[in-house]
Amino acid sequence: MKSKLARAGAGLVALTLLYPLSGLLRQVGSWRWDPDVANPSLASIRVSLGLTSVAMLIVVVLGTPIAIYIARRGVRERLWWQAVFLISILLPPLALGILLSITFGRVTNTPAAFVGTQVYVSIGYYVLGAVAAFDGVPLMLEKHAALLGQSPVAVFRRVTFPLARLGLAVALSVAWVRALGEFGAVMITAYYPSGMPVQLWVNLQSFGLPAVMPLLLIFLVTALPLPWAVHLLAQRRPHA
Amino acid sequence: MLEAHIVKRRRDFTVDVHVELEPGRCFALFGASGSGKSTVLSCIAGIEQPDDGFVRWDGVSFYPPPLPLHLRRAGYLTQDPYLFPHLTVEQNIAFGLSSARSAAESEWLARLRDSLGLGDIWTAPAAQISGGQARRAGVARMLARRPPLVLLDEPFNGLDRQLVRELLDALVAWRREIGFSMIVVDHESEILERLCSRVAVMARGRIVQEGSWTAVRAAPVDGLLDSLLRPL
Repeated sequence: MKSKLARAGAGLVALTLLYPLSGLLRQVGSWRWDPDVANPSLASIRVSLGLTSVAMLIVVVLGTPIAIYIARRGVRERLWWQAVFLISILLPPLALGILLSITFGRVTNTPAAFVGTQVYVSIGYYVLGAVAAFDGVPLMLEKHAALLGQSPVAVFRRVTFPLARLGLAVALSVAWVRALGEFGAVMITAYYPSGMPVQLWVNLQSFGLPAVMPLLLIFLVTALPLPWAVHLLAQRRPHA
Repeated sequence: MLEAHIVKRRRDFTVDVHVELEPGRCFALFGASGSGKSTVLSCIAGIEQPDDGFVRWDGVSFYPPPLPLHLRRAGYLTQDPYLFPHLTVEQNIAFGLSSARSAAESEWLARLRDSLGLGDIWTAPAAQISGGQARRAGVARMLARRPPLVLLDEPFNGLDRQLVRELLDALVAWRREIGFSMIVVDHESEILERLCSRVAVMARGRIVQEGSWTAVRAAPVDGLLDSLLRPL
């Protein structure tokens, strides 16, 4: 009975969250997918998926060792580090974009600016999530693994990562979704090459809602599989 | 040979202990709870860093500077065996062996499995076995690498007497076969006496008495030790 109630409650919240998507079914006129809309829209999909993947690679490569470092520090030091990463999350995207364009002005409107901005807006989410994930792995397990002759890399691969994987998957998913959907900061630093959020804005301004809907649908279909696949992989039981 | 001088500051006192252990010998550290016994062991294993002193094993310096844990050829077992919960019992026990297991290693694992009664849970996830089974698996995992030095920190705490007897017998037998040196910490003299003929008694971070069990029992250094040695 309790579980049925819990399921009904979760279902209700999920329905509420998904309700805005019903807007896709509303009458906004015939959807437009002529070359004027389709070509830049398809290009924006390529830009978003390609460059966001690069950004996520950077976030994971930089963020994972940083998260391990922070997770193994004392309370006082880790609070300082967490404050640093919270700042990048805390700043309104538009303000962050303005600050980035002031400080890195020469590289705006380039793929590097696009990737750099995405790293800025998402790395805080990844690092803070990853710190929580590594916190869940008892230090003594790692020490016992080391005493069994395992090098630090082997301890990470065989103990720390498998035990933290679910939390890391959540952290990566949140970072991916945050980066892919980023509009405010990217609009300032990398209007070109246009990613999907900027192109949605352009389509809305140039052609109205009928040109927004198809790209919005594609956005949802293309953005979801990666974080979902990461969750799926994380659920699988790892082996030694 | 193990030579160690452990200095480690605690809240109420400083642990300051010299330990020397000949190859293949056993040494018991006995004393009341909170006397600093576990600190000595964890400093030798490398779980904690001493504040001062040294630890040398067979000519290799463990400290100072601190030798990385994976380079210390020591087995360390505590009350919590710290099995890896995402692995099976077999994967836990073979954890310290190379992935390309030799025939001799496989045979050795099979002997550990059979002698410690782990056959029924061999493929079970470590997270799903009982506390007693986990303790057996912990002993097997520690011995799987045939460590030349074994450090036991009250690994029998909270176990029923039958299981303690089985584990003690197994340890005595394996020590005879492998020939490892061993330091055992416990607050139950009966357990220590089964494993080691020599004992050092600790109180407030210092060794206050050392010798054979007979000598220590005959003339305990103080009333507390006398009380600890007496049966309930």
